[in-house]
Amino acid sequence: MNPNEPAQSNNSSVKPDIIFDACTIQFNEQFKLNRVSWRIASDDCWVIVGGNGAGKSALAATFLGEGEHLSGSIHNAPPIESVQAVSFEVQSKLIDQERLEDDSRILDVIDEGSTAAEILQRGDCDTTLLPALVERFGLQALLDRSFSKLSTGETRKLLLVRALASHPELLILDEPFDGLDVDTTAVLAAELAQRATSQAMLLVLNRWDEIPEFVTHIAYMSEGELQHTVATNNTKQVAELKKLLHLKTTDLAIPGPLVDVNHSHSKKLNPDDPLVQLKQAHIRYGEKTIFEHVDWRIDPGEHWQLYGPNGSGKTCLLNLITGDHPQCYNNDILVFGYQRGQGESIWDIKQHIGYVSTALQWEYRVSISLLNVIVSGFYDSIGIYQKPSSSEKAVARQWLAVLGMESRANEPFNKLSFGDQRMLLIARAMVKHPALLILDEPCLGLDDMNRSQVLAMIEMVCAGTETTVLYVNHHAQDKIAGIHRSLDLGNLQR
Amino acid sequence: MTNYFNTLSLREQLAQLGKCEFMDATEFEDGVDYLRGKKLVVIGCGAQGLNQGLNLRDSGLDVSYTLRASAIEEQRQSWKNATENGFTVGTYEALIPTADVVLNLTPDKQHTAVVNEVVPLMKQNSCLAYSHGFNIVEEGMKVREDITVIMVAPKCPGTEVREEYKRGFGVPTLIAVHEDNDPRGEGLAIAKAYAAGTGGHKAGVLMSSFIAEVKSDLMGEQTILCGMLQTGSLLCFDKMVEKGLSAGYAAKLIQYGWETVTEALKHGGVTNMMDRLSNPAKIKAFELADEMKDIMRPLYQKHMDDIMSGAFSEGMMADWAKDDEKLLGWRQETAETGFETTDVTDQDIPEQEYFDHGTLMVAMVKAGVELAYETMTAAGIKDESAYYESLHETPLIANTIARKKLFDMNSTISDTAEYGCYLYNNACLPLLADFMKDIDVDVIGRGLGLNDLGVDNQRLIEVNAVVRSHSVEQIGATLRGYMSAMKRIV
Repeated sequence: MNPNEPAQSNNSSVKPDIIFDACTIQFNEQFKLNRVSWRIASDDCWVIVGGNGAGKSALAATFLGEGEHLSGSIHNAPPIESVQAVSFEVQSKLIDQERLEDDSRILDVIDEGSTAAEILQRGDCDTTLLPALVERFGLQALLDRSFSKLSTGETRKLLLVRALASHPELLILDEPFDGLDVDTTAVLAAELAQRATSQAMLLVLNRWDEIPEFVTHIAYMSEGELQHTVATNNTKQVAELKKLLHLKTTDLAIPGPLVDVNHSHSKKLNPDDPLVQLKQAHIRYGEKTIFEHVDWRIDPGEHWQLYGPNGSGKTCLLNLITGDHPQCYNNDILVFGYQRGQGESIWDIKQHIGYVSTALQWEYRVSISLLNVIVSGFYDSIGIYQKPSSSEKAVARQWLAVLGMESRANEPFNKLSFGDQRMLLIARAMVKHPALLILDEPCLGLDDMNRSQVLAMIEMVCAGTETTVLYVNHHAQDKIAGIHRSLDLGNLQR
Repeated sequence: MTNYFNTLSLREQLAQLGKCEFMDATEFEDGVDYLRGKKLVVIGCGAQGLNQGLNLRDSGLDVSYTLRASAIEEQRQSWKNATENGFTVGTYEALIPTADVVLNLTPDKQHTAVVNEVVPLMKQNSCLAYSHGFNIVEEGMKVREDITVIMVAPKCPGTEVREEYKRGFGVPTLIAVHEDNDPRGEGLAIAKAYAAGTGGHKAGVLMSSFIAEVKSDLMGEQTILCGMLQTGSLLCFDKMVEKGLSAGYAAKLIQYGWETVTEALKHGGVTNMMDRLSNPAKIKAFELADEMKDIMRPLYQKHMDDIMSGAFSEGMMADWAKDDEKLLGWRQETAETGFETTDVTDQDIPEQEYFDHGTLMVAMVKAGVELAYETMTAAGIKDESAYYESLHETPLIANTIARKKLFDMNSTISDTAEYGCYLYNNACLPLLADFMKDIDVDVIGRGLGLNDLGVDNQRLIEVNAVVRSHSVEQIGATLRGYMSAMKRIV
């Protein structure tokens, strides 16, 4: 978790910072906020972003007193009654309440319930501001209507107006633009912008392009954790966060395999056979034995994680499988139906493998466009030396879209940031939908944000394809959902 | 043994020298099939031997290594190289009789001894492959009549042969069949499969002859590649120091300068290298190069003549017989030169500065490349061979100098190249002495320092036209085109 940037306050007279100190808050059996540490200065305007189920709304709802505090503490939060929230939850609660109070089901009378005007009056509103807002949001004609008859968008507008007019100490807007038409969206955006300096606000947004310009900080939630906090004036970090959010929130499918397979030599694998079978595998340099007695069978669909301390030979072991280690020829190795050393070529093996490692990234030093880096995955080459088909290029374009780099297809690979290069190499490894995807410390050398991006991408692969994943990492926190088997080279069963 | 080339008639000599043709990619459609299931045994586990073997094995071929019994017993480096890479290693007696193809990848100097020892052990109707034809052409080695003799020569250092293969590509490769030893007419099929196994077919294969390969290779390496860069390094360094520039700066400008200016050469020939200079500097370099070409032309011709007549090989083999007496003496002299003994400055030199302060070095590269090429083609060597053995390889040697300076560069290159390099250097240093008297720091070390970069239009057009219309530029554009067409389709 990142500590927040210090507040850039030039107004020392006002309220102290709101501080979350390692708060763990249970919301229901399935969900809790986990060890959230956060600091909000009075001049800050925060937006919370993240994927579905990441805990964005839950984090905002803590200001409304929701959730059961298990540990940690919150300091200087405004009193619950002085917080106003507009959210889907608040909206549906209000609608439920109206339905509950609807007597018509019990009494044989027509109960119109509260009118819109009555709902507004229940708020503690600024009486001069309220009519002006009602007019701006075009609610005049609805005031006499029954609240329960209003459309979703209309109730949302009503709640917005009520919240804005009541000058709360903190205004929480959870997806405020959801369900609003274009015109109202513009009105709301203008209202918010106008109040940005006078009204403390906390926004929760799903869509990156809805983030208003006046927002000073972005909080990124994932799996109940506040994973990243970024000041919006840090353009580099903001750009990284945007890509991460793209992966987490855009409903993208992994592009399919090539239908028009012009690799006629591509061998069909028997689904009952192991992808890899090593018997008593060993690596020796002179007198030194790196490892020995490794038996390992990888069946299709079994994702594996490979552990082991530095120097235990993780990469060597992987390279026995990929054929990049020369001692694969004096080991007993069966891969993709080939017993190694029987006249198969290394390209026969590699066509079934997608491979990503830091070493590959270092070796990928050719001048080449982003699109062609992905295309090169069809040929297992560094650079491309054949003319790619148009369908290969089309699939590569789809992958660029997954990464949010569609418009950058012709940019040179070597000008890309380290993290973006890594993402592209994962796409390159997956483009042919290999039987086996080998990720050798795919997060090595990446900062938190890029690490999150890479893990998000790998999870998409594990969940969305037939590819079997073999993952090497010694960082316990870089776990990947869906990987249940592991081999520990540092602790071999002899 | 007698010089093989000299036993041929003039007509046969010209036919062999002029043999060089770029092979179409479709000629390699069968890949390594011709050698599939055959047993390949490599002699020599240095950079070429090991890396070619790794590629051939990864292409699905059966490769093992044979070493002298002593190398195995003492577990020498060659033994370690082979075993740690998972190869079967055995003595000549154990492996050679099983081999369908014996790949002789030892240094030239050892060829006679190795081949004499190995051929009696080779089975009937097998094949002996070389990566360099010196032994056959210059030493006149006669191989048993039932044995097919071929050559497969990747035109890059062994490590690069491996690196390019791993990328999915290869390096330009020259193949040849020794016509006196092709009893079953299968030499070409074996050579093609071998080239495909090393990945060479992806980067372009030239069909040549033993003779064309040897004569052009010797000429290139001793003149422009090693000789000119050595002579140029010594002259430029001494001039800069004489004129009061810091020795550390001079050493750095030279050590990395060759690599930087020839990088431009690699991408776009002499034209592009010259285009990296300012217009006034380009005209200056052009004039200096012309002047040097006139001075050095007789020297290049003498080298070519001695290579053709066999005088060069004879002299070198005589030195081999005296345990490299001359060679080791010259190597020591190189170690003691000012350039070699000066530590380079830590000062950063921007890329463009190597051009701006190294006009003379650019001129030397231009003069050397063009002279070597002109002299080779005038002797009947084809444009393609002459290009590969001059311009194409210059950046490779320049890169070696950047990493190792001269002494280590000489110890790294082949024995024939090193010997020829010293011969050239010893003759060229005095030859250019007068020319160097008029040279000042404006063309080496400090730059022209002009405020006005204006030039006469007509003169610039003239210079550009002459540079661009040179035959080495024409064939270079074509051959680099093949390479990049394959390398970067899009």
